Amino acid sequence: MSKELARWMDDLLQEIDTLKFERKNERRVRVDVDSKSVHSLLELLRGRASFVHLSAISCVDWIDEGQFELVYHIWSYEMNTLVSVHTRISRDSCSYISVYDIFPNCAFYERDIHEMYGMYFEGSPCMDKFILTEWDGPPPMRKDFDSEAWVNEHFDWQDYHPDWLQELETQGGGIAIHPEEQRFSRRNKE
Amino acid sequence: MRPENYEAKRQPPSNEFELNFGPNHPGIEGNYAFRVKVSGDIVLEGKADAGYLHRGFEKLMENRLWIQNIAITPRICVPDPVPMEVIYCLSVEDLCGQEVPARAQWLRVLQMEMSRFAAYLFYFGGLGSTNGMYTPHYWGMADRDLILDLFEELCGGRVYHIYNIPGGVRRDIPDGWLERVSSTFDYLESRLKDYDDLVFRNQVFIRRTRGIGVLNQQEALELGVTGPNLRACGLPFDVRRDDPYLVYDQLDFDLPTEDAGDNLARALVRRADLFEILRIIRQVIKALPDIDGPIRAPIPNPLAWNVPAGETYQRVESSKGELAWYVVSDGGDKPYRAHVRGPSQTHAVQVLEHLAKGARLEDIAQIMFSLDACPPEVDR
Repeated sequence: MSKELARWMDDLLQEIDTLKFERKNERRVRVDVDSKSVHSLLELLRGRASFVHLSAISCVDWIDEGQFELVYHIWSYEMNTLVSVHTRISRDSCSYISVYDIFPNCAFYERDIHEMYGMYFEGSPCMDKFILTEWDGPPPMRKDFDSEAWVNEHFDWQDYHPDWLQELETQGGGIAIHPEEQRFSRRNKE
Repeated sequence: MRPENYEAKRQPPSNEFELNFGPNHPGIEGNYAFRVKVSGDIVLEGKADAGYLHRGFEKLMENRLWIQNIAITPRICVPDPVPMEVIYCLSVEDLCGQEVPARAQWLRVLQMEMSRFAAYLFYFGGLGSTNGMYTPHYWGMADRDLILDLFEELCGGRVYHIYNIPGGVRRDIPDGWLERVSSTFDYLESRLKDYDDLVFRNQVFIRRTRGIGVLNQQEALELGVTGPNLRACGLPFDVRRDDPYLVYDQLDFDLPTEDAGDNLARALVRRADLFEILRIIRQVIKALPDIDGPIRAPIPNPLAWNVPAGETYQRVESSKGELAWYVVSDGGDKPYRAHVRGPSQTHAVQVLEHLAKGARLEDIAQIMFSLDACPPEVDR
């Protein structure tokens, strides 16, 4: 039964023109689709082919191409197959439409992507801050956000030289990490 | 002021109060806040509030070498760290097209089941203490310690093992270790009768948890519930069986289910799962001495290791549910993107908010713990 279903689905997906279909192995299928067709494809897969479980939505920042890639991983309990639906969204528009009406459990993933990448999902139930409640900087998971530069810019470095350490250092011991060896170094400041 | 322009300032009804659970409270295995709005002792609404354990692991991983990231992975879920290591290694191996030696695969299964057993003991302890029974907590922690001793002997680390690396495992097992695993789990099995008497056949526990936090199958599927919480709703699904990885397709085990979908069912499913874990561990102990060969496939110089470009989505069953990682490589020496999908990302947020609505205030901590949510997985 399950094998017939899988073949039926392969045929169906290959019939749609704008869609690139690749079966990676027995239980993994990759589909590349235009951002306009994602919702109808997901609805088709959920309604007709029993893909009821949205496993996750991943976002990848392809900064050189000026695009965000959204990946919807959906799983079918009947066919035991995972379909990854890949789509690209322009980095400038940075907004997309929620799949809340198809998969209600998308709310966390969309909220997370909004927080970490700044991509707004229209129709998602809550786009408030969740993890980075007190953060007012740029979305931190974007590739153009450099956490080391941010730290150097926003925080002062302090020397930690308590008496006991100075005493050790006069005897030739202690922690010998020179500023140029430190990961978050002050090289740029000096 | 004309009367048509006048708008009374809206005040909340005087019988509604807000109460903050957390960030530190015994209802969950970490720092996680839950704000509830109550009227009397009925919860009208709950809002999850995460972020107290955010360490930016996904961003950190993009700045570190493939081999360095192994030290980061177990820290994403403290009570059940092994699946995180294994799934990262599975992702890298899939990207490289690397074959893992059979002995390493069996050793990984053994570790994962030991870790699952330890996480369940932790869970029973926590669930007991949210019901005012502290003995299961002490017992659970003490028995979990025996498993941590075995891990310490295996790799030196008790909680964060960092024993798996892409290509296999770090070193072979010490002499006589399998016998000690066997005798420890024989002892733990003999203890399960005491746990039954103390918790699962205890009328206080049963009456306190039956019918609380009920989740039906439809809701569970819509909210993306996985793992033991899904099996407690009567749906026998497990990544180990339905999307097998490592050598789980060669092992013989059942998937216990319950139909009620309440807190008691979630606890009973895990209790029945313990026997399946014991079955798997005994099968591994029996099979492992006959499997010779290397424990690690050769890997290139780890400090100059460029993983071929590609993307992979790997899933394993952790003690909390479906754990999945999406890893992207651009052919460089560091991951381009590593996305962690923890089971608690649904359980601790949407499912918890759904179950809290209409529950009684004294049941909130119990509902939270019965879902077995792990805050570091949500925050990452």
